[in-house]
Amino acid sequence: MKTIKQLSVLTSRVIKQNLTDTDTIITTFIMPIAMLLFFVYIIGGNIAINGKTGSSGSYLAYSLPGFILMAMAMGSAFAALRINNDKNKGFMTRLLSLPIKRWAILTSYILASVIFMLISAVVIFLLTMLLGYRPTTTGANFGLFILVIVLFALMITLISLPVSLTAKNYNSSNSISYLLIFMLFLSSAFVPIAGMADQIRGFATYQPMTPITETIKALLNGSFSFNNLNTTLAIVWIVGLIIIFGILSLRRYKQIFVNN
Amino acid sequence: MDAIVTKNITKSYGKHQVLKGINLNIKRGEIFTLLGENGAGKSTLISILTTLSRPDSGNAFVLGKSIKSAADNIRENISVNSQFVTLDNEFTGYQNMKLVAQLLDIKDVDKRIKEVSQRLNLSSFINRKIQTYSGGMKRRLDIGVSILGNTNILFLDEPTTGVDPKNRLEIWKLIRELRNEGKTVFLTTQYLDEADKLSDMIAFIRNGKISLQGTPEQLKSQTNNLHRITVSTKDLDLAEKVLSENKIEFKKVSDTFEIQDSILQTALKQLINANIVILEINPVKQSLEDVFLNATKGEQQNENN
Repeated sequence: MKTIKQLSVLTSRVIKQNLTDTDTIITTFIMPIAMLLFFVYIIGGNIAINGKTGSSGSYLAYSLPGFILMAMAMGSAFAALRINNDKNKGFMTRLLSLPIKRWAILTSYILASVIFMLISAVVIFLLTMLLGYRPTTTGANFGLFILVIVLFALMITLISLPVSLTAKNYNSSNSISYLLIFMLFLSSAFVPIAGMADQIRGFATYQPMTPITETIKALLNGSFSFNNLNTTLAIVWIVGLIIIFGILSLRRYKQIFVNN
Repeated sequence: MDAIVTKNITKSYGKHQVLKGINLNIKRGEIFTLLGENGAGKSTLISILTTLSRPDSGNAFVLGKSIKSAADNIRENISVNSQFVTLDNEFTGYQNMKLVAQLLDIKDVDKRIKEVSQRLNLSSFINRKIQTYSGGMKRRLDIGVSILGNTNILFLDEPTTGVDPKNRLEIWKLIRELRNEGKTVFLTTQYLDEADKLSDMIAFIRNGKISLQGTPEQLKSQTNNLHRITVSTKDLDLAEKVLSENKIEFKKVSDTFEIQDSILQTALKQLINANIVILEINPVKQSLEDVFLNATKGEQQNENN
């Protein structure tokens, strides 16, 4: 019970820091919103979706998963910054000297990161609802959509962790997040991959962001099926990366703070 | 039962062996000071005793519990004030204290924060963000956070380094008060005067080993190996000549001669034979600084040999 309370206190601390920091708010909420509006109302109408030049409305439905994932990827930068800052500026030493289970300290950063990313996903989703978007799917599919979003948040948090635990300074701790955002632009998140150059298309088809984006699209437009290559790839990528980077993060954390 | 016992602790970072077999016994309710230069291994030993890192070999017991097998239990009974401030810069002083108080499951958080703030004179700035604090304010708040839990053992790693004289005196006052309340204080410092004024027991650490250990008075008398001989003013030149001719090492300090204990008898014999009037023979009272310098000088000679 005491550990749960400590976990809650530590998680709230990081979320509070994120929600009261101007830089974090601008990067995680304002920037994705500005980009969404720019893409939907300026570029979107000119992008051909399924062979037809669309409208702002159809582009909004097409790109919604991409913008949700982008806002989350931007949020992961701040999770990385927080843990790196605490490590390099000494606060982690304070935490480690207190009677708190070691696993609870690491878990609090992960939980805070996932919750913060979910907040940014909700904000983007509500904005698109305000702009006229309506999901056309079942309750079960919507539930699965939430599950995929939670797992994606966990996945990118864990991918960022080993670097943020290791980085010697604040500036290099969030480098993975920018790579994740770049991967989104090399996927079907914002434009169909059919129009990409051949060499890039092959990479774009199978890299994690495309199957994850396509799975989310299918979950929101009612076309989701488990018997689909993108669904299988999305599950393999998400579960695989969570396991691999979960092990790497735990190992790095133990190396630095437990078995040092 | 002693508060802290260490048994042959060693620790290396890469090829550099920082601790080379540390053995200490620290009694409950005393201020124990570990004195040493930068890089001597003070912070490494503290991090091991506070379960922040693990020894390569050896063991330590804090209130009878092994740091290897009962780390969680040990953390319940100690608090640590690290060499570098461990505050969350984005929060106020109050928020920092509240956070740690909640993590320690302190019942009446606000009451406890008020007590500690008053004790350390933090009240006037406790609601300001840490970014606006001076170095001394941060250090005092950091110590305040460390004593929130009211634990039996407090580790203070160079608490006055970089702190102005006023804050330094306040920290000294607090350390004495904590000892008077029955708490064990494990202090590290580079300042000899600080160790001399505060400590019940001092250990010198040098090159990863404890080179000297004792109460401040014991240490000063243990290495008190000089005597000062005062001769009559008219015999000063003659005394100097006699000592020089007989190859007796001495140091002339105004009208006196400082001579090592080991050759004191020979020196006196020669002076008396030369009919020099000896007015006084006194042991030279050494400072802790002399003790430290003697110890390091002796070790350097051993290393060179």
